[in-house]
Amino acid sequence: MRARPGARARAIPAIALLALAVVAGTARAQSDSAAAPAAAAAAPAAAPRAASAARPATDACLACHLDQETPAAVAWKNDVHAARGVTCADCHGGDPGSDDQDVAMSKAKGFIGVPKKEQIPAVCGRCHGPGEGVFKSRYRLDDVLSKFNESIHGHVLQANPKGPQCVSCHGVHNIARVTDAKSPVHPAHVVDTCARCHSNAAYMRDFDPALPVDQRDKYLTSVHGKRHAAGDWKAATCVSCHSNHLVLQAKDPRSSVYPTHVPATCARCHADARYMAGYGIPTSQYADYRQSVHGKALLQKSDLNAPACNSCHGNHGAAPPGVSSVIAVCGQCHQSNEELYEKSPHRAVFERQGLPGCVVCHGNHRVAVPSDSLVSFAATSPCGKCHKSDGTDKAAAGIVRIKGLLDSLTAGQGEAVAVLDHAENLGMDVSDARYTLKDVNQAVVQSRVTIHSFAVKDLVEAARPGLDLITRARAAGEEAIHEYKFRRQGLVVSTLIVTFLVVVLWLKIRAIERRQKGEES
Amino acid sequence: MSLVSGLQKWVRERFDIDPLIQFAAHKKVPAWRGSFWYYFGGVSLFLFIVQVATGILLLMYYQPGEKTAYESVRFIVTKVKFGWLMRSIHSWAANLFILSVFVHMFSVYFTKAFRRPRELTWFSGFLLLGLALGFGFSGYLLPWNTLAYFATKVGTTIVAVLPGIGGPVMELLRAGKDVSTATLTRFYGLHVAILPAVFTLLLGLHLMLIQTQGMHEPESWEALPEGKRRYMPFFPNFILRDLLLWLIVLNILAILAVWFPWELGKKADPFAAAPGGIKPEWYFLFMYQGLKYFPAKLLGFDGEVVGIVLFGLAGLLWFLVPLWDARTAKGARNRINTYVGILVVLAVIVLTALGVR
Repeated sequence: MRARPGARARAIPAIALLALAVVAGTARAQSDSAAAPAAAAAAPAAAPRAASAARPATDACLACHLDQETPAAVAWKNDVHAARGVTCADCHGGDPGSDDQDVAMSKAKGFIGVPKKEQIPAVCGRCHGPGEGVFKSRYRLDDVLSKFNESIHGHVLQANPKGPQCVSCHGVHNIARVTDAKSPVHPAHVVDTCARCHSNAAYMRDFDPALPVDQRDKYLTSVHGKRHAAGDWKAATCVSCHSNHLVLQAKDPRSSVYPTHVPATCARCHADARYMAGYGIPTSQYADYRQSVHGKALLQKSDLNAPACNSCHGNHGAAPPGVSSVIAVCGQCHQSNEELYEKSPHRAVFERQGLPGCVVCHGNHRVAVPSDSLVSFAATSPCGKCHKSDGTDKAAAGIVRIKGLLDSLTAGQGEAVAVLDHAENLGMDVSDARYTLKDVNQAVVQSRVTIHSFAVKDLVEAARPGLDLITRARAAGEEAIHEYKFRRQGLVVSTLIVTFLVVVLWLKIRAIERRQKGEES
Repeated sequence: MSLVSGLQKWVRERFDIDPLIQFAAHKKVPAWRGSFWYYFGGVSLFLFIVQVATGILLLMYYQPGEKTAYESVRFIVTKVKFGWLMRSIHSWAANLFILSVFVHMFSVYFTKAFRRPRELTWFSGFLLLGLALGFGFSGYLLPWNTLAYFATKVGTTIVAVLPGIGGPVMELLRAGKDVSTATLTRFYGLHVAILPAVFTLLLGLHLMLIQTQGMHEPESWEALPEGKRRYMPFFPNFILRDLLLWLIVLNILAILAVWFPWELGKKADPFAAAPGGIKPEWYFLFMYQGLKYFPAKLLGFDGEVVGIVLFGLAGLLWFLVPLWDARTAKGARNRINTYVGILVVLAVIVLTALGVR
């Protein structure tokens, strides 16, 4: 090898941080020689690596840098790419066939040195990008470049060169397969790899100051995190939910962790009976949730206020709510119910017996729209689980009374609507009464919420405004029907009077004309 | 001395009513098979009186304005004692009034009652019909409901197609570029002040002409000897028959108002899309429907413009019929005019029926 010591000395620091430049082949070097400098400087990812029939027998870049024991060159022998025939020049450009450093590392030969951080995805994308390159056809690699560019990481990198790129996660020159335990993206390490940035408040501030940096800490407290720490690589890690290359913000509707997608994302593991075998938990949660009032609201009506799995279980710190915390979890949304329940006699009893609060009556994943018969001794009602209806239980009368009040409200509302419908069908305007009746819904909702105090007197107070409104609306409807009848009766009377006048007048006219005829004759 | 004769004496001392009594006593109405049609003038007058009376009552509660018009009409029909009846009668009587005026006009046309010396009666009557249509058009908008709003929009847009004057006339009608609360107050002013004032003056002239000229005698009587012509005393025979018909119309009105109360509809929302099937009131329907049959282009002109101009010319010809009915002076029967009239009536009925469909 012929090289000028001075020039080599200048080149070494730069090269030390890089992968090696490897000759891509004489033919390619010759054909690219004219266009390469400009293309390499402007767009390192201009084209995927072309199939090469003639690679130099010896990779001069690697040979020289191994001679110098350059760390990158030393590490390269363990890189998954090295074993697959990737050369230094495939990433760094240059002429690996020349042992003259000035020639091998000349811009004229397409040498780009250490790619700028923002250029790295494009460099990797020569093979791991769209199109058909030699590696793509041989190893069927995904188009991860397009996914990365579409991801939040790709967007961040375009805006800020400090942003993440391929080597941030996969490392450089000693890249291992994801299944290789040495890889930083192996399930064993991927949480720490993500946390290198996402737990670094100073680093994250440059990109998204509002994004929490405690995800890893939370993860370690989660069931997933604990299993992971115990060496269970099946346990969910960051990429299980967020995906790997196509990481999108949670607010992005395309994201796998966007609220409407969260249940399906969790279900990928939790609904897979084979995958979950051995964990001793059911796999019916997703199917149950889809049937629930929450699931229907979120998945069918796209109501983002409806809870997904993470609303109750947490996301990074995911764990099933304990018996003591169920009330607080449900109370995040159902605050009034929680407050009333906290003061109710059930609170202490349930806690004493280790019963999970709200879940006792409403269930968990398959929470249905509660019906008024939930408070009753019907077979489907939970009251009968603890209370007896045979008169020996003093709470039984209260349950019957509460059910009676709810029925009075709903049935009374229905009857009032029927009266108003009847009045309206008769052509009477009862819009005011209908408007009044709308407020009954508020009273019904209020009463249903008040049930959670399990105190009859509270429910009587809550139901009273609604019952009063029902009485008023019904009275207005009945008055309208009465008015309708009055109008018809009035019409009959007035028609009779007018008709009588018509007859009298007709007789009078005839009398006059008869008299006139008599006078004429 | 009875109360009546005492009252007459009291009035006679202050105003000479004897000429009026003499006039009424001697006034005669031709009695023939077409006499029935004479009563439609009286029925129209009666319905106008009903309109004035119910209109004044509605006026006590109605408040023009985008935020008050609909609400005040709603208040009238739901809260005001017998307000629903007044509003319903006002709406029904308006339609019967226009129907009655149309019948009256055609009966005058077919009996050739417009001929000399009654040209002025015809002219004033025709103008009264125009004002009646104006009443209908302006009054229809006042409840400010969806149908009225969009029908007014469509109605005023038709005017805009006229080249040159169309745009300014439409803006004059709308009091702006679009139908708005300004249009509502403008129509209100027209409906309750301007139109009633002009109508009352013209109606006075119309009635005065009828009373002074007497009823038109049928053409067939010209060949009859004096002794064969039969008459009916205007007072009391004709007046009492008029009154009899008024009572029957009152009964019909009451039945319609109670059994088919006029709907209020939904409040107009200028930002909402126009509901489907928007049509003008039935008395404009024949023109509206007729315009649809004009092609987009006719002799190089816009078809709709040609249609409006033709309708305008037809209306003008109809108005001027006493002047172009050439054989009037000779007293000869003019069958062509009768055929033209029958064609017009048939066209109006067919086009209206097609429009309603």
